[in-house]
Amino acid sequence: MLQRGIAWGLAAAGALAAGTAARAAMTASGKEPIYLGVRACAACHRGPEMGHQFSLWRLSAHARAYAALAKPEAKRIALLSGVPEEPQKSRLCLGCHATAADTEEWERDDGFRIQDGLQCEACHGPGSEYATAKVMRDPKLAMANGLRMPEKDDCMMCHRTKGSHEATLKKKPFDLEKAWRMIAHPIPRKKKPGSEKAKSEPKSAKFQFVGVMACAKCHQGPMGKYCFSRWRAGPHAQAYAVLAAPKAREIAAQQGLAGDPQRIGKCLECHTTGYGYPESAFKKSFDRREGVQCEACHGPGSGYAYKAVMEDPLAAKEGGLRKPTEQTCLRCHEGAHGMAFDVKEAWRKLTAPLDAASAGVEPEPKYKTPLNMCFTPDGRELWVACEASRSVVIVDPRARRKLAEIEVGGQPTDVCFDPAGKRAFVSNRLDDTVSVVDVASRKVVATIQVGDEPHGVLVDRQGKYLYVLDTSIDRISVFDLKTLKEVKRLAASRNPWSLAISPDGKRIFVSNALSRFVKFRTPAMSEITVVDTERAVVTDRFVAPAANLLQGIAWHPSGRYAVFTLNRTKNLVPMTRLLQGWTITNGIGIVWADGRIDQVLLDWPNICFPDPADVTITPDGKYALVTSSGSDRVAVVDLNKLIEMLEKATPYERERVFPNHLGLPTEFVKTFLPTGKSPQGIACDPQGNFAFTANSRDDTLTVIDLRKMKSAGTVDLGGPKEISRIRYGEQLFHSAEITFHREFSCHTCHPDGHIDGMTYDIEPDGIGMSPVDNRTLRGIYDTAPFKWEGTNPTLSRQCGPRLAVFFTRIQPFTPTELSALDYYIAAIPRPPNRYRKLGAPLTPAQRRGKAMFERIYTNDGRLIPKEKRCTTCHPPPLYTDGRRHDVGTKGRLDREGRFDAPHLNNIYDSAPYLHDGRAPTLEEIWTIYNPYDQHGITNDMTKDQLNDLIEYLKTL
Amino acid sequence: MRGRYSKPFGQAALAAALAAAVWGGEAPASRPARAKEALGLPYVYTKWEHFTKKDGLPNEHIFAVKVDGPRVWVGTEDGLACYDKRTGKFRVWKEKDGLPWRVVSAIDVDPKTGDVWLGMFGGGLARFSAGRFDHYHQLNSGLVNDVVYGVAVEHDNVWAATTAGASRYDTVRDKWTIFTEKNAPMEEIWNYGVCYNDGLVYLGIWGSGVLEYNVATGRWKDYVDPDGEMEIDLYRDDGIVHVITTGVSYVDKILWVTTYFGACRYDGRHWRGYYQHECGLPSDFNNFVKGRSANEAWFCTDKGLGVLADFPTDTWVKYVTDGDRHDGYAFVQRGTNVVAKVHTGFNLSHNYVLCVDFDGDDAWIGTSEGLCRAIGEGITPGCVRRVKKRTQAAPE
Repeated sequence: MLQRGIAWGLAAAGALAAGTAARAAMTASGKEPIYLGVRACAACHRGPEMGHQFSLWRLSAHARAYAALAKPEAKRIALLSGVPEEPQKSRLCLGCHATAADTEEWERDDGFRIQDGLQCEACHGPGSEYATAKVMRDPKLAMANGLRMPEKDDCMMCHRTKGSHEATLKKKPFDLEKAWRMIAHPIPRKKKPGSEKAKSEPKSAKFQFVGVMACAKCHQGPMGKYCFSRWRAGPHAQAYAVLAAPKAREIAAQQGLAGDPQRIGKCLECHTTGYGYPESAFKKSFDRREGVQCEACHGPGSGYAYKAVMEDPLAAKEGGLRKPTEQTCLRCHEGAHGMAFDVKEAWRKLTAPLDAASAGVEPEPKYKTPLNMCFTPDGRELWVACEASRSVVIVDPRARRKLAEIEVGGQPTDVCFDPAGKRAFVSNRLDDTVSVVDVASRKVVATIQVGDEPHGVLVDRQGKYLYVLDTSIDRISVFDLKTLKEVKRLAASRNPWSLAISPDGKRIFVSNALSRFVKFRTPAMSEITVVDTERAVVTDRFVAPAANLLQGIAWHPSGRYAVFTLNRTKNLVPMTRLLQGWTITNGIGIVWADGRIDQVLLDWPNICFPDPADVTITPDGKYALVTSSGSDRVAVVDLNKLIEMLEKATPYERERVFPNHLGLPTEFVKTFLPTGKSPQGIACDPQGNFAFTANSRDDTLTVIDLRKMKSAGTVDLGGPKEISRIRYGEQLFHSAEITFHREFSCHTCHPDGHIDGMTYDIEPDGIGMSPVDNRTLRGIYDTAPFKWEGTNPTLSRQCGPRLAVFFTRIQPFTPTELSALDYYIAAIPRPPNRYRKLGAPLTPAQRRGKAMFERIYTNDGRLIPKEKRCTTCHPPPLYTDGRRHDVGTKGRLDREGRFDAPHLNNIYDSAPYLHDGRAPTLEEIWTIYNPYDQHGITNDMTKDQLNDLIEYLKTL
Repeated sequence: MRGRYSKPFGQAALAAALAAAVWGGEAPASRPARAKEALGLPYVYTKWEHFTKKDGLPNEHIFAVKVDGPRVWVGTEDGLACYDKRTGKFRVWKEKDGLPWRVVSAIDVDPKTGDVWLGMFGGGLARFSAGRFDHYHQLNSGLVNDVVYGVAVEHDNVWAATTAGASRYDTVRDKWTIFTEKNAPMEEIWNYGVCYNDGLVYLGIWGSGVLEYNVATGRWKDYVDPDGEMEIDLYRDDGIVHVITTGVSYVDKILWVTTYFGACRYDGRHWRGYYQHECGLPSDFNNFVKGRSANEAWFCTDKGLGVLADFPTDTWVKYVTDGDRHDGYAFVQRGTNVVAKVHTGFNLSHNYVLCVDFDGDDAWIGTSEGLCRAIGEGITPGCVRRVKKRTQAAPE
């Protein structure tokens, strides 16, 4: 027997850390507990004797947590959390809206259902080792077997303030005390006498009841119109549970019915499904406690609840499927409990489509966001990769109109053709694929899996190999075009971005957006990687010193050199120097065929050329056209003048003076031409008559007449004309209007909302104190507070006054702008984890690493203090507790030793690490920078254990 | 020293020279030939080229050599060198040039990417790709230990034999795996040598014999000395000759193994042990082995270079040098029987031989006092009847 007075109940909260710690304790003892599901708990924790604990939970929001993810609001929240997938398929959402969603299949019992939302074991730990009456009678034994009793603070792991939820739901702040009272589920001190079992006249049925979960197999998710989740979130699903409420007892008493309503036949007739039928009428899968289920109205399902039957209406009818009518509702609702019932309104609600508009959630327009372009080899068509619309738009460059649009994969980024112009290849950055498109039929004929976040694509002149830049893993994948099989991966530098093939077809130059890792507080060193097309190997690596964000690249028709875009970020000087006009400078580089590199700026003293994104060279070789996505312009560079200037200069001038000279551009920039918003890619037609810029933030192309060197109109790609708040924020994010002399935009330091790999000195001291690593913006909205020192509680503060004081040095964003900017930053999609898909089994190394992450004992059996455990500061699903901790990393330049615990989602792609970026790899966090076990107890780990831990961290 | 050939012999003169050496030269002419000589004779390298610091090597303690098309990569005690056969010049990288660690103890080349992988004694592993060194060590990567003795490229993986186990680095997925006694039949974890060929990775382990890893199945197989750790072979050819293994080489389905107590050959069914006292192996103290075929392997010992030139006939060529006098000999031997002694002139740079790699007909040999190249011209594997007047001469 349970000891009375002990609050054994299921103190439900989002304490996932509790679950992991419980499992860790059990694993340490050699047991591998698994999750049983709420029904296993309900076997005992139900009925009046146990305070109707199951029903209390069933009526709580925790039980509806999974179903809530089907709501339009959830989609909005997901959008503002940077979650590109369905909320019910997102590990991040499920981390708080379900139980054990991130576990492997073997860790869940057959009876476990993720659809049950936040269940008992979310807080009390997986139950297989303690959920027996024998164990549970002895609290100490139960605890020893993994039962956890969560503390109030554990709730905050999920119920912490999250920007995405606040902005969408507009609820009052979470009141922990109130919530704790609400979810209290004590066992009554006095055992209540059991009521007699409900009796009724037995009914008979031709078919058996199969239960709602059988229906849910098909009727869930977007394909099933979220039917299951809608039912689950509604009152029918709670019909049985409400009978446990005091009000139910009151109503029963008023009707002269004594006892527990959950045992009164008259109540159960309308509050459950199939009441009155003999036991033989129910399949094992049926659970009466699910309340009024599908079969209450549609009839017992054993004859029709199969996909093949349901696809044939006649067969389904034969199988017993009933079509409910208003009369069906009225059987229970008419005059029930003396309450009025509007059957038409109820019917409407029950059958209304679940769309964003009906939920009052503003739907987000589907923009195009054109990024890069390529002409077909015959020059007749211009193909434009559109990131937001998952499509390639085909444009007639002569008629300047859109011809067609082809759906490809997620975040199309670049496009190229084979030499014959028969096939096009589109890189899909979100999906890690390349779509192969048959040009004649304009159909995707194949989709090939490539490395992580493919960006640039290019086919060699012989049509032998396709080169794909796997941007986030620093590789160049080489595919055999005949077989479409990957033959090798070459090592690029960091974030390979664009490719250009030499006029003789022998070499490919690859620009790399991020600098190589350099020693702490030393200038950047970026690389142009050279690929020999005959052997498909890297033969040279040319270094552009002090430059970063090498993006667009194009060969001169002479084959003497190529031109690439670059930034020269002075991250070693205080950002307060901005007023001196020399913090982030922008320009181009000339990489000569022999590997020499010249750098010149395109900034003018009082107006800069922010975010140079792409470059093209006119077929006659006279001009290079460079886009500035931060200032909506194209710079027309007179190459003859530029090359002449360089050739006349001394080596000292070329190496030391020109790269930083703001006065030079007037000598070789012929003109600046206006474009649409945030031009990215640029391409010249083969005849050299016109150039086109892909204006990523207004879904147009700007046409440039190359003979007159003037803007000559636009091409509308057909995106929505309305500007949503997110789109407005996106435009602001990519615009340098907000900075002094238009030196840079938000995008400059956070390209694609991610990182530029640099460490900055952004404090106002001006003497180099507190340098900080640049952090990713992907998924940042829910990880308050912000800044490494955690001093900014909201994004608005981070991007508002603080930005103006420390970065932009002119007037801050207006409240409207700030709100839009916040929305956009929140919506920057975070790529899916490349090391583990949701539900995929862990590799053995990852599984061992998980045990290390969750461990509570050292290798020699010492208990690890709670504050030194990984899961304490990095609890799932965000893997940050949002608090500051001193992990022993205070450096000589730091004024503060406590830093915000960063989230660990996709941690593998945001090197370097620690607050000042001193650790280029995850390993170094512990092998070098944790000598005294202040950053968790790690020094007892063997090398293979540390490797395992890192393998697991990559899956988060 | 480059271009300092030991003898100005061309290949055309080799047969005559060899004949003179064997039958008309230093060998007694009156002794009758034995039946074995009817089997023919192996090729003997008489043309050698030597390289020292004067020729551009950064250091003369040569730990690794790897032929890569027109290049020969050389790992030394103080730097990496690359010999360009087209120009005849060395290019050198030391720590000041970006080489992550001074001692380069192992080299392999990825045939797909052309990247050069360096094992560094105390410095971990490095990828040298088109002039850029990427450094992987035990503090910044999953490499198990920085003392790397051997390195081998297997498909997209790079294996490193280290003093604390073997590491496998998946260059495509950026993933490290450690193999130690925890997950492999590795009684000791001091990995000395590693090689890959034909779906199998072999690890030579100091004190634990040889481990075979099947890439397709992920399964291990261990080969240890049935005589335990005894330094004598109680039953010959019953297995690997000793568990203190220093080198492994797998070619044409044949595994060649060296230990500090002899060497052996394994064809998947039968073992064959080799000891100094019964064959042409210069010493039982073997540093390294490289198989050229199922029938030919080169053994690097502390007392010279032993070449098992023809397995079926147990024919060896033992090269030893008198480095001080810039002179040397090759002894052609069948079992214990020396069938010929060939004066080659200066052959090995030093008798302490540490590494070897093949380059068509040539071979590059690293010693403790420089690098040398054995130049072969029109060689024929195995033993061939090279001289008609066979009966006129007798071996020593």
